[in-house]
Amino acid sequence: MESTVKPSTSDERYTLTAPADLELDRTGYLELYYFMALNRRLEERLSNLYRQNKVVGGLYSSLGQEGCSVGTAYALERGDFLAPMIRNLGSFLVRGVDPVHIIGQYCARAIGPTGGKDLNVHFGWIDRGLVSPISMLASLVPVFAGIALEMKMKGKKNVALTYVGDGATSTTDFHEGMNFAAVHKLPLIIIVENNGYAYSTPTAMQFNVKDFVVRAQGYGCYGEIVDGNNVMAALDVTRRARERCINGGGPVIIEAKTFRRKGHAEHDDAGYVPAALRAEWEAKDPLDAYRRFLDMHRIVESAAEIEEIDARINQMLDAAVDEALASPFPDPSTLMENVYGD
Amino acid sequence: MATEPAMQRPRFTHVPGDKTKLDMLHYMKLVREIEDRIERKLYRQGRIVGGVYVGLGQEAISVGTAVHMEKDDVVAPSHRDMGVFLMRGITPRRIIAQYMGRRAGLTRGRDGNMHMGDMDYNVIAFVSHLGDNVPVAAGCALVFKQKNQKRVALCYNGEGATSRGDWHEGINFASIHKLPVVYFVNNNAYAYSTPVSLQMAIEDVAMRAPGYGIPGEVVDGNDILAVYDAAKRAVDRARSGEGPSLVEFKTFRMTGHSAHDDAGYVPPGMFEEWKQKDPIPRFERQLIEEGVLTGKRRDEMQTECAKIVDDAVDWAEQQPYPAPEELTRDVYYEG
Repeated sequence: MESTVKPSTSDERYTLTAPADLELDRTGYLELYYFMALNRRLEERLSNLYRQNKVVGGLYSSLGQEGCSVGTAYALERGDFLAPMIRNLGSFLVRGVDPVHIIGQYCARAIGPTGGKDLNVHFGWIDRGLVSPISMLASLVPVFAGIALEMKMKGKKNVALTYVGDGATSTTDFHEGMNFAAVHKLPLIIIVENNGYAYSTPTAMQFNVKDFVVRAQGYGCYGEIVDGNNVMAALDVTRRARERCINGGGPVIIEAKTFRRKGHAEHDDAGYVPAALRAEWEAKDPLDAYRRFLDMHRIVESAAEIEEIDARINQMLDAAVDEALASPFPDPSTLMENVYGD
Repeated sequence: MATEPAMQRPRFTHVPGDKTKLDMLHYMKLVREIEDRIERKLYRQGRIVGGVYVGLGQEAISVGTAVHMEKDDVVAPSHRDMGVFLMRGITPRRIIAQYMGRRAGLTRGRDGNMHMGDMDYNVIAFVSHLGDNVPVAAGCALVFKQKNQKRVALCYNGEGATSRGDWHEGINFASIHKLPVVYFVNNNAYAYSTPVSLQMAIEDVAMRAPGYGIPGEVVDGNDILAVYDAAKRAVDRARSGEGPSLVEFKTFRMTGHSAHDDAGYVPPGMFEEWKQKDPIPRFERQLIEEGVLTGKRRDEMQTECAKIVDDAVDWAEQQPYPAPEELTRDVYYEG
């Protein structure tokens, strides 16, 4: 579980560069690392719990996509709204959700945000501007267009951001929500996480264009491609999108090129993914690459500094797992709570 | 300065022969006549059951596209494409009977106005949920492809329907699988009372085509020769297995959304401006200049169309309404 900064072994190694105008202090750089590592380690814990039969229901991993979740969510400000999707645990963490609550949610404990009523990432936290994702992918695009409409009508300098995968772009909701946001120039940011597969459907069977982002011009909105494995690039592009939105420039589509390194869910071995493709993306691991970046650019003094963060995360997760598993399942008397508006 | 006449480059790749030109003019005039009779006369006399939606000013589109259909092709028209029904061979008698709610109508008096189709003529019924037929047409085209048939599906929508999810899902699917289908958009400036600027943040619907990886083209929908040419290229492309196309016809809805709508929301001057571009007199002038048509023949054609519609109305009005005991027929499949 402990990882270390390893020396470079090849000249062709995937190397990150920081965007030219990225304004980030040392704390910021380290926070990005912290959230990505926390995202990775928390999902590893959940995977273990799943195999121990402690997790109730499915488990969806964002292995290899942590940079996208963390970078995009980190660009937001107070008052902004965000709805993660199934592979954005990192976005929850950046917005301040405690791992204890996430583990409790996965294990169906009363301590989870849905009080043990729903599972995995099907939860939100309205006080923190987090809207719950649901299984009907892209259904949050029109919902977020609605939130953005309210921001515009009330003159708020805020944005609404949500994620879709390459697969969800083929749905009705994506099209209708996107078009509405474009017509009304709403402060909406859509992150299209193009991770190669929608369950077992490769992108070539999902849309007949090389880069999804060309659709932005068909909606009359701005679009940009970003390396979804570069947390700094994800942060930078989302910050610029945010500026554009709050200045009335209308919605922005960001296509983050990344890869889903596990199956659709923990039960799926993804045998349909060519081994070479998976290997290629393993070499582009966003967390490892970012560690190398921090080391190479002397943002950290030594490997020990990173190891100290890793150790802190592990200690926190040890405690979180213990606390979540020690907490009770929901009491039967709470069954009808939160079912109807009280 | 005396000059030789400049070399005229042909405006279009595909130009119809004289007989086809006159046929197209006949159908345009017949559409105009039948819709005028329904909307301006029969409806106002209370002889029509339900609402009336016409394609006044848009006749060139349905006629100039449907003319390319072969016998086994399939078509899903919109509510402003009367020309498609007529060119497929559905008679004015049955159409008027449909509008009058008679048993002889296409839906046997079960449904009204343009909510009609006839699979004997490969015309898929139009439904009110605009854009719904986009995936249906893609499905037809999928069958043609899987069975290696050289058939093509045509599908029509207004610009308003392009904001619908069905439109998006259907076109995306057709594009991925390179299906033999052509999508026509009648961009007539208003979706009921919604102007294009509130429908989409782009100038042309065709700008969406590159996002689906298919060709998109903007065509003057009031110039039947331009419609003919663009439709021919798109249909040929589909038939030869190169996949779907999106053809956008710029036109104008010269009425309200339906016969009950006075379209007071259309800015003054728009109707007058577009009246100048009326596709029928425009085509007639062209044909007279070319020597294909005379003023006398034009007037005769008008009289012929009026007679066809007179006959259809007389016939339809003598047809019975469906009997009450037929009520549940066609509700469930009876084999």
